[in-house]
Amino acid sequence: MSDSHGAHDAAAAHAAHAPDHATVGTYVKVAIILAVVTALEVGVVYVRALAPIIVPLLLGMAAAKFALVAMFFMHLRYDHKMLTTVFVGPLLLATALGVALMTLAGAFLVFGR
Amino acid sequence: MVFLAVMPFSAAFFNYLVPLMIGARDVAFPRLNALSFWIFLAGALFLNASFLVGAPPDAGWFGYANLTSRRFSPGSSIDFWALSLQVLGASSLMAAVNFIVTILNLRAPGMTLMRMPVFVWMTLVVQFLILLAFPPITVGLIFLTFDRFFGTHFYDVAAGGDLHLWQHLFWIFGHPEVYILILPALGIVSEVLPTFARKPLFGAPVVIYSGVLIGFFGFGVWSHHMFAVGMGPVADAAFSIGTMLIAIPTGVKIFNWLATLWGGAIRGTTAMHYAIGLIAMFTVGGLSGVMHASPPIDLQQTDTYFVVAHFHYVLIGGSIFGLFSGAYYWWPKMTGRLLDERLGKLGFWVLFAGFNLTFFPQHYLGAIGMPRRIYTYQRGMGWDFWNLVSTIGAFGIGVGVLIFLINAIKTIRSGRVAPADPWDGRTLEWRTSSPPPPHNFDHIPPVYSRDTFWREKHGDSRGRKPAPVVRGEAHGIHMPAPSFWPIVTAFGIALGAVGAITHVAVAIAGLGLAFVGLWAIALEHHRNPAHVDQTGTLGLDQRKLAMWVFLGSECFFFGTLIATYLAYRGRSLVGPYPDDVFSIFITTVSSFDLLMSSLLMVLALAAVQRGDRFQSRLWLFGTAFFGLVFLGFQVYEFAMFVHEGLTLQTNLFGSTFFVATGFHGAHVALGVAMLLTLWILDLRGKLDARDAIKVEMVGLYWHFVDVVWIVIFTVVYLIP
Repeated sequence: MSDSHGAHDAAAAHAAHAPDHATVGTYVKVAIILAVVTALEVGVVYVRALAPIIVPLLLGMAAAKFALVAMFFMHLRYDHKMLTTVFVGPLLLATALGVALMTLAGAFLVFGR
Repeated sequence: MVFLAVMPFSAAFFNYLVPLMIGARDVAFPRLNALSFWIFLAGALFLNASFLVGAPPDAGWFGYANLTSRRFSPGSSIDFWALSLQVLGASSLMAAVNFIVTILNLRAPGMTLMRMPVFVWMTLVVQFLILLAFPPITVGLIFLTFDRFFGTHFYDVAAGGDLHLWQHLFWIFGHPEVYILILPALGIVSEVLPTFARKPLFGAPVVIYSGVLIGFFGFGVWSHHMFAVGMGPVADAAFSIGTMLIAIPTGVKIFNWLATLWGGAIRGTTAMHYAIGLIAMFTVGGLSGVMHASPPIDLQQTDTYFVVAHFHYVLIGGSIFGLFSGAYYWWPKMTGRLLDERLGKLGFWVLFAGFNLTFFPQHYLGAIGMPRRIYTYQRGMGWDFWNLVSTIGAFGIGVGVLIFLINAIKTIRSGRVAPADPWDGRTLEWRTSSPPPPHNFDHIPPVYSRDTFWREKHGDSRGRKPAPVVRGEAHGIHMPAPSFWPIVTAFGIALGAVGAITHVAVAIAGLGLAFVGLWAIALEHHRNPAHVDQTGTLGLDQRKLAMWVFLGSECFFFGTLIATYLAYRGRSLVGPYPDDVFSIFITTVSSFDLLMSSLLMVLALAAVQRGDRFQSRLWLFGTAFFGLVFLGFQVYEFAMFVHEGLTLQTNLFGSTFFVATGFHGAHVALGVAMLLTLWILDLRGKLDARDAIKVEMVGLYWHFVDVVWIVIFTVVYLIP
């Protein structure tokens, strides 16, 4: 019984102090956008006219999906800035190191390997 | 020396001092700390067990491929090395998450980041280095283990593999590791010098920024260890410039320490001897380091004794001198007894002389061509005399360390009792008794400025002291409950490692035990009211912050896996190739399934937060079910590829594809297990709004697995 009361109190306290989180409607909209962008990703692969820009196009769409999930489903848009710092900092550094590693391993043929 | 001596000595200082110096009662996660310790012990015992079975690791601390391949190291020595490093790495990662959360979120009221002691700052930088530098070596070791156990081709030149991949992965970890070893010592010295010069640290914010810059630059210079492999002039130039840049913040620190000493009322304690010794010896090591930054000079010095001399001036003259300085400085705080100063100074001078006798001649030996890693050589090379001097010096080092041990034993038996503040210290640890009570402080001390404790005692430059704080009775201090599950988990991990080199059944039993232990740790305080509110200084729940910090580390783990896949793309010498086996339709459906599971996850969290039990059960199960469907697709895809002739052993594509997507699948499976645990708790009425933070943490992990798949889907499957 006391557990149940405690649960309601905690729920009420959470509601009172909850930050400006996304609503269920926002989640559904984000999911629809994710589904549409995924369909577009698969679709553009088969459009021959887009071949010259296909790689940046696909990477851009993947980055947009990544950002949507992180900002809305993971609540980074609404949460403490420290959380963004401890995640996005390593993410950018990991991306830079990954590109450097691929470059040094000859993936981009920059250094004539 | 690197993994089982200097790192754990530094970790001992972190554990003991960081909570005291920031005014906390303990680290953020005491049981995680216990788990980290027991796993470290398990890894260390496992590594040392290799000596007992006659298979000690024999490929150097960097284990260059392909010396470590089955062909050239057929026994189990490399397996001991690789597996124990993985176990030790897991321990270090847990500790890193724990310390980062502790430092960011458990500071005393008023202790802003820039008011933190420099040692705490250096600890924070080191934990980020561990957090981000360990995943690349973890992945490198996974590749090595797969090559040795399952016949993959990551380091197999005959199959198109590149031996330099190992060197890159090792040194992406290995160079930050140097800073993991040295920055704690630089932090210690930054505490000792102001105390014994009776002056504030000169330019403390600049010293802090310098430490942060050293850590950051440390990620961009790894290839200076590889100038000799022939990376080309552009890469050589880039890494040479980066390496030289690091000398700037390092030099700034040295000048700030000298400025702190300038005009100070210096007390020549043993701790101060070691601190000043570090400044001198580390400068010598730093100068020879700048020499290595120049590729033409480095080519002459690579694999000679010159390099041995350089890094021992950094790691003994720097790290070890710093750790001894810290040992003499904080020994009274830790034990309640003062070390004998006369013996201490004698030990310092013997160690100082022995160290210089040992390593200074090695500069010359290297310059005249003596190679590293040889224990004998022919007469007439001109190396005899200086090697004799080195050997005599090495005995001096041994005697110097022995004097410290004698001093420690003598002090434990009959040392002078230490007051709370024997050195007239500046930081919070000197505010509590020596040794401190288990809860560190009866009352959490408020912080008004850098060196608050000094101001409380002596006032500021105008003699003004902070107003005294009115305090009530100390009560209601929550102390962590003991738990045996960390030991069980560590034992399971050790058993798993033993099984990897003995019998698969033992490995499965060990990993199963570790899994049970981890689950027990997660659930044993599920209903403990003292664990409900874990909000810290930032207003953030400790667990949530910890999960985000961990996900930062995971970015490096998956980043390395994906970068390797891309680096090896198109290098397979035989088919099948990606275009022969990929079915975009199937992968699109499974990707859609995983994306939609993220929607169900946020709906589950929202339901738990508002106490809607029906919907929380529905969406939790739905998320887990979608996860299982994704795994089903993956199993189907793998089976289809094997049927078409693509396995781990077929070619580079098979090796990189199965390992990258397989580890992602393992993460999904772990997420499903966590979701089903929450669902069962919910069914049993043990999940309500108070537990929303737990659902949120699992949700963060789940969404992260989702975003990783977004990247894999694009770069592995879609990009032509």
